[in-house]
Amino acid sequence: MRNIPTRHTAGRTIGGAVAALSLITLTACGGDSGSESTGAAEKLGENEGEVSILAWPGYVEDGSTDPEVDWVSGFEKETGCQVTSKVYGTSDEAFNLAKSGEYDVVAASGDLTLRMIAAGQAAEVNTDLIPNYEGIYDFLKDREWNTVDEKNYGIPHGYGANLLMYNTKDVTPAPTSWKAVFEDAPKHKGQVTAYDSPIYIADAAVYLMAHQPDLGIENPYSLDEKQLAAAVDLLKAQRTSVGEYWSDYTKTQASFETGDTVVGTTWQVIANLIDPKKAPVEAILPSEGATGWNDTWMISSKSKSPNCAYAWLNHISDPEVNAQATEYFGEAPNSDKACEFASEGHCETFHAGDEEYAKKIWFWNTPINDCLDGRTDVECTDYQDWTKAWAEIKG
Amino acid sequence: MTLSSISSTLSRRPGIRLGLLLAAPLTWLVLVYVVALAALLVTAFWTIDSFTNELERTFTLDNVREITSEALYRTVTLRTLGVALLVTLIDCAIALPVGFYMAKVASRRSRHLLVIAFLMPLWASYLVKALAWRSLLSNGGLLDWAGGLVGLGTPGFGVTAIVLTQAYIWLPYVILPVYAAYERVPDSLLDAAGDLGARPARTFRTVVLPLVVPGLVAGSIFSFSLTMGDYITVNIVGGANQMLGNLVYINSGSNLPLAAAIALIPIAVIMIYLALVRRTGALENL
Amino acid sequence: MGPTESPQIQLDAVSKAYGDVMAVDALDLTIGDGEFFSMLGPSGSGKTTVLRLIAGFERADSGTIRLGSEDVTALAPFDRDVTTVFQDYALFPHLNVLDNVAYGLRVRGVSKAERSTRAREALGMVRLDHVAARKPTELSGGQRQRVALARAIVVRPKVLLLDEPLGALDLKLREQMQVELKQIQRELGITFVFVTHDQEEALTLSDRIAVFDSGRIVQLGTPKEIYESPTSQYVADFVGTSNVFDEQVSKRVLKMEGAFALRPEKILLSPLTASAPAGAMTAAGVITESIYIGTGHRVHIELEDGTQLVALEQSRGALHPDAAEPESRGDRVVASWSPGDLVPLGTDSSRAVQHR
Repeated sequence: MRNIPTRHTAGRTIGGAVAALSLITLTACGGDSGSESTGAAEKLGENEGEVSILAWPGYVEDGSTDPEVDWVSGFEKETGCQVTSKVYGTSDEAFNLAKSGEYDVVAASGDLTLRMIAAGQAAEVNTDLIPNYEGIYDFLKDREWNTVDEKNYGIPHGYGANLLMYNTKDVTPAPTSWKAVFEDAPKHKGQVTAYDSPIYIADAAVYLMAHQPDLGIENPYSLDEKQLAAAVDLLKAQRTSVGEYWSDYTKTQASFETGDTVVGTTWQVIANLIDPKKAPVEAILPSEGATGWNDTWMISSKSKSPNCAYAWLNHISDPEVNAQATEYFGEAPNSDKACEFASEGHCETFHAGDEEYAKKIWFWNTPINDCLDGRTDVECTDYQDWTKAWAEIKG
Repeated sequence: MTLSSISSTLSRRPGIRLGLLLAAPLTWLVLVYVVALAALLVTAFWTIDSFTNELERTFTLDNVREITSEALYRTVTLRTLGVALLVTLIDCAIALPVGFYMAKVASRRSRHLLVIAFLMPLWASYLVKALAWRSLLSNGGLLDWAGGLVGLGTPGFGVTAIVLTQAYIWLPYVILPVYAAYERVPDSLLDAAGDLGARPARTFRTVVLPLVVPGLVAGSIFSFSLTMGDYITVNIVGGANQMLGNLVYINSGSNLPLAAAIALIPIAVIMIYLALVRRTGALENL
Repeated sequence: MGPTESPQIQLDAVSKAYGDVMAVDALDLTIGDGEFFSMLGPSGSGKTTVLRLIAGFERADSGTIRLGSEDVTALAPFDRDVTTVFQDYALFPHLNVLDNVAYGLRVRGVSKAERSTRAREALGMVRLDHVAARKPTELSGGQRQRVALARAIVVRPKVLLLDEPLGALDLKLREQMQVELKQIQRELGITFVFVTHDQEEALTLSDRIAVFDSGRIVQLGTPKEIYESPTSQYVADFVGTSNVFDEQVSKRVLKMEGAFALRPEKILLSPLTASAPAGAMTAAGVITESIYIGTGHRVHIELEDGTQLVALEQSRGALHPDAAEPESRGDRVVASWSPGDLVPLGTDSSRAVQHR
């Protein structure tokens, strides 16, 4: 659901078409479902000589995009594991690709991890076999998008928040709350933007948690029908003020620069990219908190190169490598040590290690029928319901 | 069997010859075209496991029921239909006079220049054109400036922007068949009508237009069906709006059967359109 | 009836150029009411341009055009009381035959019932009432031609312009249509202006013929005048086959000053032994070719000084006193003709002698 700056909508849409096609072929071949995982590895053996990785663009760079950007060649030399990688555009596309079992390692966002685990695609990961795991921020460990029934299914990578960005000239006084894009949205009718994905419903839920406690929302990814309906109503009201939704990084950047948009959700990296001469903008973490992402490096349950896979998980968690990769992508790294290797100011900008800041972030998760907040008396709405609701909101 | 005996057999048996000639393209057509379409149809009647995203191959009418009963799909279908019709109308309204000028008025030289000028955008990427319109339509863009001169702003991103952009993108597909249709009308017919007393407007209405209608219909099939299926332009200049293509796209990842069912809507609309066109008899003259 | 008493069409100093090419060059022309007038010439001679100027499809660069007493120089085709039968017929392919014929009435606002009656009447004139419901594509060439004719005459124009209307028909059909055209013209009594490059057609049909060359009329007269008394080598040569003696040849063969034309059928061929009729001019030569053409033979002779001559020998019935075996190739003969059959030519033409 994120892109590096060089990609735009075309890649995404083509990706969608490919995903749709591959779904037909894959299912025709008869996917074997059910749990295949037989517990985590106890100890590591010899490296197999190759490892294939499925990841977001910008996560596995071997210098072919930019000769300066390379954290793969060193790994290959060191471990003897030759890396082949494939990038994907959406979590749904990744899910379908991962099912083929061709990929040893998958970098998955929170709206994908649980689906992978439920479908038996992800292997349990023994974190003891990954020396670099120890240094990773505690607030990223053992979370519901990487750990199920106290079993770890992967290593946290970087993280970031979906922030509120506004044009300081047009939006006064400076907002401190998501109210700016909900109740106060009509003030900037036609100039409000929001992230174009069903997962954005969680942003509305975060807002409702703070402003309508009667709804009893405990977790923005765990909404029963009534709660979802409230979020949908809020978003439908917002819709009348929305100029456009964005899913393409460069689109929203340009939109803020031209003044077509003055307030809406954003990522820190976009805020950094906007030319202050064109539009003076500020990106904040509002008082209600925000949604965000924390990606997980997972190992396929069908991997034929588990040793190389473990080696990669350790490599990508190495502070120096992690700093390089997360900085290139534009997110906070996963450890304090990584900050020592990052460029000056990077960790400050992205609030790395700021636990108070991280606490305010509701990391992306997959809405499923079993309520994530532990409720058992109701059935929660799942991602498919959210997809439908999202189409309805846009109308 | 020697080579010459093969070729003599083939020359005596045109049936075999035709079969061999068409075997490869037909296989391709059946596999890529028919099978894909059939897969789409069939998928529309399946469902999906909501968590694992696995297809469940059991027949159900749920998807069809959903798209026919829920207001969302009606709204989006009507919007898509409206946009497609508007785009087609605009393109036809431009193509009729422009095609006439190119085929009947312009000198040979300027005719060729015009044909090239109208074909040129076809070489540019679809995305580039849509993004160019985005910058034209944006705040402070060219349309904002030009509109400001007459006291209007840019129409901004939205349905108007979709219509403008799509009308621009599909225009060559309408102009070309219309121009070709004009080309096929002999000049002497225009002379003859004038000679018999018809003024230019009448000549156009009673002689030229009926002969250009097949080209117009061919062009409108392009602009109409291409607009019906579009979703990229909508993403780029459509503001917060969505069309049927966007609904297909958003569902294609998480609920393929529903996406397939939604995709049936434009297919059905275009079938109806073609049936209407057929009744006018314009298809036979293509 | 003379053209000057009741002029129907009058062109005064009309010019029309296409780029550097003068298609029509300061043309004066008067065509009388009810006349069958032909404009004859090779392609590019300007005859079709004159027709299109009269119809209004082209605008004259200078000069005036009158129809009846009205100056129509600046009028559009639809404001001129003239209709045209086009070379390619120009039938409207989307209309059936009846609607094609009724088109002119329709745009004139004639009621539906009346225009149907009149269109059927016109179709009757060309004997095509039975195809009224068909589309033009379902007709033969000759039928299309007649529909085009019916469509043009149904509006009862003062002048009918015909642009090589018979060019695409085969010989038999062409001859038949020539007769029909003549009959229809007589019946309607309106002016026909007929453009053709076929001299025989022009000679057969016309009251008067204008022979065109390079945008000018080089000779204007009755078919007989044009054929019998061409005033220039160009006309003598273009209209029918002629033996043309330029000044040098005349001096040598005829022992006369000036250029002359001699029609092949005026030449009598006889064996060397035979004596020439009194007062005849003679020249001896060898037959180089004798071509059978059904009604007789076309015989090419090379005179002793090398001059080429063409003679036409009519096949004759056995009763004819001069019936004789035709000469054959290689025979030496004497060609003789009456001095009165020699047509003196103007000196304007410098064109080479070409036999057609």
